Parts: sequence; C-alpha cells; structure tokens
Amino acid sequence: MAIQFERVGYQYTGIDERGYMALSDVSLKIDKTGEFITLIGETGSGKTTLAKHMNALFLPSEGRMSIFGLKLSKDTKKNKKVKLNPIRQKVGLVFQFPEYQLFEETVLKDIIFGPKNFGVKHEAAVRKAEEIIEVVGLDKSYLERSPFNLSGGEKKRVSIAGILAMEPDILVFDEPTSGLDPLGRRALLKVFYDIHERLDKTVIIITHDMDTVYEYAKRVLVMREGVLVYDGAPEQLFSRKNIENWNLETPEILKIVKGLEEKLSITLKDTPRSREKLLEALKEVA
Amino acid sequence: MKNIVIGRYVPGNSFLYKMDPRTKIICMLLLMASAFIVDNIYHMLLGLAFVFFILLIGKISVKRVYLGLRPLMFLLIFTFTFQVLFNEQGELLFEEPLFYSPLSIFLALLIFFFWFFTKKYVPFKLLYFVLAIAGIGFVLTQLDFWFVFATGTFTVYQGGLELAFFIMIRLIILVTLSTILTITTKPTDLNLGLEHVLSPLRHVRINSEEIAMIISIALRYIPTLLDEANKIMEAQASRGVDFQEGKLKDKIMQVVSLLVPMFIISFKRSDELANAMEARSFVPGKPRTRLHILTWKTLDTLAVATASVIIVTTTLFRILL
Repeated sequence: MAIQFERVGYQYTGIDERGYMALSDVSLKIDKTGEFITLIGETGSGKTTLAKHMNALFLPSEGRMSIFGLKLSKDTKKNKKVKLNPIRQKVGLVFQFPEYQLFEETVLKDIIFGPKNFGVKHEAAVRKAEEIIEVVGLDKSYLERSPFNLSGGEKKRVSIAGILAMEPDILVFDEPTSGLDPLGRRALLKVFYDIHERLDKTVIIITHDMDTVYEYAKRVLVMREGVLVYDGAPEQLFSRKNIENWNLETPEILKIVKGLEEKLSITLKDTPRSREKLLEALKEVA
Repeated sequence: MKNIVIGRYVPGNSFLYKMDPRTKIICMLLLMASAFIVDNIYHMLLGLAFVFFILLIGKISVKRVYLGLRPLMFLLIFTFTFQVLFNEQGELLFEEPLFYSPLSIFLALLIFFFWFFTKKYVPFKLLYFVLAIAGIGFVLTQLDFWFVFATGTFTVYQGGLELAFFIMIRLIILVTLSTILTITTKPTDLNLGLEHVLSPLRHVRINSEEIAMIISIALRYIPTLLDEANKIMEAQASRGVDFQEGKLKDKIMQVVSLLVPMFIISFKRSDELANAMEARSFVPGKPRTRLHILTWKTLDTLAVATASVIIVTTTLFRILL
C-alpha cells in the first residue's frame, strides 16, 4: 500500500476558533501501481483537502495515515526529524491554478525547478524537460518562452509538465482539465491515461466531468461534506438510483445507452464507456 | 499565517464605541497636541491620570493597552536610561564611583551575555532585564581591586530623572490614546472618519475620498493576499521547496518562487477589481451616496468640547506660567 488513510479527519482553524471539519473519518488505501482513480463530489466537499493530505501538505488532525511507509498523524509536525519533502517527490500534486506555481523567466527553467529541488543534475533535468514538454502536447519552441505570455491552457500544461518532470510514483491532479477547450481536455486526459498504461503509475484525478469518470476510471471516490461516501467501480456507482443526492449526474454515454434500450429497445452486449466504443457496439448490433 | 488579525478592534459597548469616528480622531489629535504642549511633570502626571480615567469609564482593560505599549518598551527603556545617565541638570541626587578592571568588565560582559542568551526561557522578562542591569551595576561599583585601569562616576541628577520620567509619561500617553482609538473603532469606521477629517484638504487639491478608498481596499485585500500566499507556498512545496531546511543560496531561490507569483497575482487582482468597479459605474471623484452615514450626537459635542477645554487650558498654562 502506497497511501493509507485510517479514520482521517481534518479541521480547518478559523479566526473564530470554532474550526470547520473539512474531512471526517476517511479511510482508504491506494496502491503504488496500476490504479486510475477519479475523485468526485460537489464543490466544498473536501476533494482538494483530501488531495493535499496525499503528499503531506496537510497533516491529519484526527486519525492516522501513512505514505510510502512514513507514518503521519497530528503529532508529526512536532517531530522535527520527520522529513516530509521526499514524499512530495513520490506523490506529485498538480494544483488547479497554474498561476500559483509559475515564476521563472522561461518555461524550461520552470519545468526543471522541481527536479532540481530533489537533487537532479541540471543536464538531466533539461533532457527530461525536453521530453516532458511534448508529452503534455506543446512543442520544444515553448521551452524558451516566458510562462506568463502563455494562454490559460498552455500555462496549465506547463504546470503539469513541472510536476511530471519530477517523475513521481503517484500523480494527483486537481481538476487538470478545467479551463481547457474540449479537444485539449480529451488530449490531456489521453496523456494521463497513457502515463498510467505505459508506466503503470497510479493516477488520481479530481474532476467534475462524469464522462471522464465513466470513460477512464477504474475506481471512483465520492466525497460529500467531508465524508467518503463511495469507493468502488464506476459501473456500480452509476447504477445506483440516488446519485443525485450526492450532486452527481449520469454520464452522457450511459444516458444514450439507456435511451436506446428504452425507446428503441436495442440491447447492447456490454455497456460501452466511450463514444468510439458505443459506435462499435451499435455497428455490431446493426 | 492564518491567524493574523488586522487592526486591533475589540468589540465592546461603552460610550467610546458609541462615539462618531470623526470625534474620536479629532479628540485624539487634540489630546496628543496637549501632551506636547505640557511642560511640567506634575501636569503631565495629571494628563496620565486623565487618560487612565478614560480607560476606566470606557471599560477598556489596561492589559490591552499594555500589549500596545510592549513593542515600544525598548524605546521607553532606552530613552529613560540615556536621560538618567547623561542629563546633568538640577541637583545631584546620587553618586557612585565606577571601577573598570579586566575582572569587572569581564564579569559585566558575562552577565550581559548570560542575560542575552537565557532571556527567552525566563517568564518575567522585564524583571529579569532589571536584575541583569543591577548585576552589571553591582559588579562595576563594588569590584575595586585587581588592575583597575580607569575609574568613572555614576551620577544621577534630579533634572535628568525628572526629564526621563517626563518623556516616558508623554510616550505612554500618546500610545495609550492611539490604542484607545484603534481598540474602539473598526478599521472601516476609522477609515470613514479619516475621510471626513481630511476632507478640508480638497482646497489644496488632495482628494480625501481617494485616500480613504485606497486605505480601505488595502485593508480589504490583506486577508485575500495572505490566502493567496498560502496557496503559492503549498504549490511550491509540492515541487520540493522546503522552507525549513536547505542552504542559503537555495533559500533565496525559494523566496523568489514565492514573490514572483505573488506579484503577478496581486497585479491581476487589482486589474480585475478596477474592471469590476468600472462595470458598476465607479468614477473617482464623483459624488457618491453612502451606505453608512455618520451621525453627530450630543455625546460627540461633549467629547470635542472636553478635549478643546483641555488643549486651551494647557496652552494658557504654558503661556502664562
């Protein structure tokens, strides 16, 4: 088990001293390899807070957790011998807004900032950056540009490249496709899926897009008001009747399949997960 | 970082809270001016008593005022010590020979460094400081043997002592007055009051409304920007920036990694704010209607009258006596 939560709770402390429970009683296990997880839930349900626990930016205020064997709890901060920094190389967290991390003069320098912090040699980091920039769908000419003159989508890709270049074992993306056009979104999701397939890395994506969940995820985590209400396969999730209570909706593909079954009484052999698969299944029936 | 409180407003319900912010600003200025006009230590003590009287009837705890004074403690002790040591006016009150020998200087330095490195572990810091000073004084006055290479005299004159107390009380009065103002007035009210008090400056083409707007926006955006700074720190920590460890050279780079996004985000925010204000037809300098309208009450007239009486009396005393 790479990441393990045991009854974790997290309380935000405000000025009024009362605090706000952003997470309560969350228990889950995440493998080091081979998982493709989507984390969904309405805004303010604690998705980002959960993600920040995964690379020890936040420490649990209740319960215990362990990340790659390092045990973390409320008291970890007091113990100065515990080094949290190595965890951040193992679990890469990409934030929602790229503005918070871009700061260098060129895209290249920004991408190699992370790897160099973890002791990668300059030349090796540059080589890695040249490779990574193409993985996220930009070409090498971008490396010499200033990160501040890029469009929103390009900034997003650069910030993702900055984390990918650190070569973490587990990747956590906080709404990686927000602010991208539909084509760019599909392309980027493909990139994440390729990384997962090719290198067998665990990828965790926070998203609001149910089609992404249904098409790619092998496992879905649903958060509601700080509680993990569902942990399992997407098929079972969307076959439940009361998912509207969790502010979720049925994916478009599933709606189409249901419509086909009910209105045209076409029954498909197995439920397709993407448009391409649906088309294939329809051809077969016809 | 999360728990920084802007301003020192403490909710309450005494008469000071019911006063118009304009009144409070004007009264504070008048009383402060009086504290500068007074040139007699007994009148100054009377002033101190008056300020404590305000605290008493205004139901403000002296502890809060002490907290406001604490940052100035060093300045107070410093001016007091210099006045006592070097002002040679009036009667000679106290004289004691000082002996400088290798032993006494060594011991004095030893006491000083011992105080310096242990002060953070001691609960009563001020008392501890006084004890350290007394210890150094004792060593320098009593150890009159073993290669004394120089002697001096430690003298205290009445004039010096009086002036030392005089300046200290004046500083205490000034700080207490401003603390009363900030404790009993919300930053927004203070700003509104300031706008009105400064409004006569329009005759010299200074727009007080703009100044007030700048101050209120700055106050409003401090928590927002702190929040942004926190997010940036988290994002960079995810990329291996470690603010606890690391070499100095790395640390400089890490600070840059915080400052650059901070600047970019601040500029972006201000641009967005300007657009949002323009979209709601804000034009600088144009007359606006207000949500909060300040009302002048009998209490305010009374307060300003009292403060005026005090400043007139002190001026008369200064001129006539």
